[in-house]
Amino acid sequence: MDPVVQMRNIHKQFPHVKAVDGGRIDIQAGEIHALIGENGAGKSTLMRLLYGMYPLDSGTISVGGNVFSAPGYSTKEAIRMGIGMVHQEFMLVNELTVLENVILGFEPTLRGGRLDFSRAEENIGRYIEDYGLDVPLGRTVKTISVGTAQRVEIIKTLYRGAELLILDEPTAVLTPQETEQLFSILRTMRDGGKTIVFISHKLGEIMEIGDRITVMRAGKYVTTLNKKDTNPAELASLMVGREVPGDKPRVRAASTETVFSVEHLYVASDRELSTLRDVSFSIRRGEVLGIAGVDGNGQSELIEALTGLRKIQGGTARLFGRNIVGEKPRAIRAAGLGHIPEDRNVRGLNKDFTAAENLFAARIDEPRFGGWGILRKGAILGYAKNLIETFDIRPAAPEVRVAALSGGNAQKIVVAREIDAEKGFLIACQPTRGVDVGAIQAIRDTLNQAKARGVSILLVSTDLDEILTMSDRIVTLYKGRITSELVNENVNIESLGLAMMGGAQS
Amino acid sequence: MKRINPASIFNFTSIFNFIFSLLLPFVLGAIVVALLGHDPQEALRELFRGAFVGRLSLGTTLQKWVPILLTGLAFCITSQVRYFNIGVEGCFYMGALFSAGAGFLITGLPWYFHIPSCFFAGVLAGSVWAAIPGVLRVYWQVNESCSTIMFNYVAIQFAGFMIVNPWSAKSAASQTMPILPSAALSRLMPPSRANSGLFIALALYAAVFWIIRKTRLGFKMRSTGANPFFTDYMGIDSRRVVVLATALSGAVGGFAGSVETMGVYGNIIDGFSGWLAFDGMLAALISKNNLWLLPVYSFMIAALKTGALGMERFTGVPKALIDTIIAILIIFLSMDNLFRFRFHFHFPRRKSEEKAR
Repeated sequence: MDPVVQMRNIHKQFPHVKAVDGGRIDIQAGEIHALIGENGAGKSTLMRLLYGMYPLDSGTISVGGNVFSAPGYSTKEAIRMGIGMVHQEFMLVNELTVLENVILGFEPTLRGGRLDFSRAEENIGRYIEDYGLDVPLGRTVKTISVGTAQRVEIIKTLYRGAELLILDEPTAVLTPQETEQLFSILRTMRDGGKTIVFISHKLGEIMEIGDRITVMRAGKYVTTLNKKDTNPAELASLMVGREVPGDKPRVRAASTETVFSVEHLYVASDRELSTLRDVSFSIRRGEVLGIAGVDGNGQSELIEALTGLRKIQGGTARLFGRNIVGEKPRAIRAAGLGHIPEDRNVRGLNKDFTAAENLFAARIDEPRFGGWGILRKGAILGYAKNLIETFDIRPAAPEVRVAALSGGNAQKIVVAREIDAEKGFLIACQPTRGVDVGAIQAIRDTLNQAKARGVSILLVSTDLDEILTMSDRIVTLYKGRITSELVNENVNIESLGLAMMGGAQS
Repeated sequence: MKRINPASIFNFTSIFNFIFSLLLPFVLGAIVVALLGHDPQEALRELFRGAFVGRLSLGTTLQKWVPILLTGLAFCITSQVRYFNIGVEGCFYMGALFSAGAGFLITGLPWYFHIPSCFFAGVLAGSVWAAIPGVLRVYWQVNESCSTIMFNYVAIQFAGFMIVNPWSAKSAASQTMPILPSAALSRLMPPSRANSGLFIALALYAAVFWIIRKTRLGFKMRSTGANPFFTDYMGIDSRRVVVLATALSGAVGGFAGSVETMGVYGNIIDGFSGWLAFDGMLAALISKNNLWLLPVYSFMIAALKTGALGMERFTGVPKALIDTIIAILIIFLSMDNLFRFRFHFHFPRRKSEEKAR
């Protein structure tokens, strides 16, 4: 079969980064083509080039026999050729209804310029029926769930005449159930003749949904494979460029000593969904407690409350028997807490500062870093060098600005600092979000080593694989309440997903 | 606050842009002078002579440099924590007022005790005055640009009251009693009013520079300015850091006022400042809080202001023109993208970069 889209020899330079360096892809009509690679491998950029969002530096794109080269290719052209893209961040107007969002810019009108809503509804109804894209047309976008908003985005691109849909990491924001639903929609669409490009770095998903798979690494094309000729281990090593050791089997914690406990915790939030109500749990010495839940169900509020960054309205939280409610972040740190925050770019790091400054900041008031208020540069650099070596942070230069580091190495700085700061209790929030496969393994190993030393870890993650791999016990957080508590034995991703949605109580 | 890398400031391109931005306002000023019917060459010559030639001119420039440098420095300190401090003028008044009070109320001290006491009074008054809006901002979310402006007026009116009533010299002009000789700073270049406050000011500038770059407090301030979320999460109380920064800023502002009283006027006259701290703020703004550039710009503003007097006296070109030139200068220096000429040594690569943008 002839490819409907051919991209050849694609180059794209951003300031400081060569995002795509010799990219290619052949997409055949009526297939689900998975495009995989680590973060920063250039997959999104390649597809944005196909959608005409950036001008090409060099290379050719051929769509259905029309060949375009470096300049003179734009989004307008792409849409005309039947290409549509669903971005990671949805581009919807919150205040408008679903229907209005879909037709925005392409409104069918009656005579005199009035909008013809009934015709619009008719047109859209076709997609809803054909592909099972169930959306409430009359609701405003701000009241619908993330999964629904994604379906709205898909309808929007279809409505604009897309024959080829690009989905950029569509499952990152979905629960397992929503993912399943999305996959069945995608399959129906493929069987109905649409072509789909599915960008992801999750191997499990790729193996489930992809027909053919193109692997990219460091901006370069690696290979294209048929799904039936490959396996996750091979894909992983192709993505990373070397063998990736898998997760080691989990070691159960034996101690019965309670290190941290929360009882009847109430915490206010700006949003109803994430207001914490009556949250209780406890963690034993050397145990990993996973908190599973869809983003925005109160995880951030819980962490901020427990680390002293947000006011607790009621309940108690005890660390080593000491009530930390109302304490300042410094006091809680002193009581033994280390905290890997959920977003390294907001809280975890000061990007304009150097690696050394970021590493020592939690210990700034220790006398060894300066007497009489004067900082000792030598002591700071020595301390940083030590951590950089232990945690294999690259480049091994304490005076390099953090903004210049890769996501994985920036996150390693956060992990290094917090592992070094904790005295028995660590809160790890999305510890491997947005980092490459190699760094994910290194960070998980670090956490497991801490656990083996007897450190208790509260692991908050929206990545269920991570929760299931790392945790001894799991609690699910849904709409600010704990909906279930599971011992991590024979728990699978489906039952966990169900519990996350407040479904099954176990 | 971005980390300032000296190498990146002092490269060829930026120096060219800098000089260009400096020269253009003078060219425009010369055109205006010509339009007014004066000789631009003569005006510029007198401007230069008025600022630098002779003890009086140079001394006056140095004398005016001190408060502009210090108030600019005060503004830069709070900018480190992203606090827009328009209230330096108020601290300047409070510093001047209280060191004047200490200057004539405390008697019988030798100069080496009296002068520090007067400075202490001024510095304390300034820092308390600046810390109040700081506290209001961090604990009660009162916007500092509003409160500091209001605090300026309160300080000026309060000083006016003290000058006219309890501390009045009871002379025709509204001014306080003169400070005792033991509180006066020595003059450097008579007949100008340049005084030894200049050296203390430069020392203070160096000290603040050092505090910001090398000390724990400075690190906390820079960290708070760069990312308050990070700072709080590190266990550093960013609100306390902001209050400390405002107090430090007020101390420097108050010190500037003390130098005016003890070195320049010998007492305090109602309305003596004429919004001087705003010249300092301008110097800070055009140097983009870069502490390396602040002395240069504040000196330039002081020289222009001083030279303008000579220019007006000898050529009849109104000194208001200099304010226009300063204003144009500020506009050009703030529009740093307008004259960002790039020197292309590698044409092909540059082109592709340009396109990527």
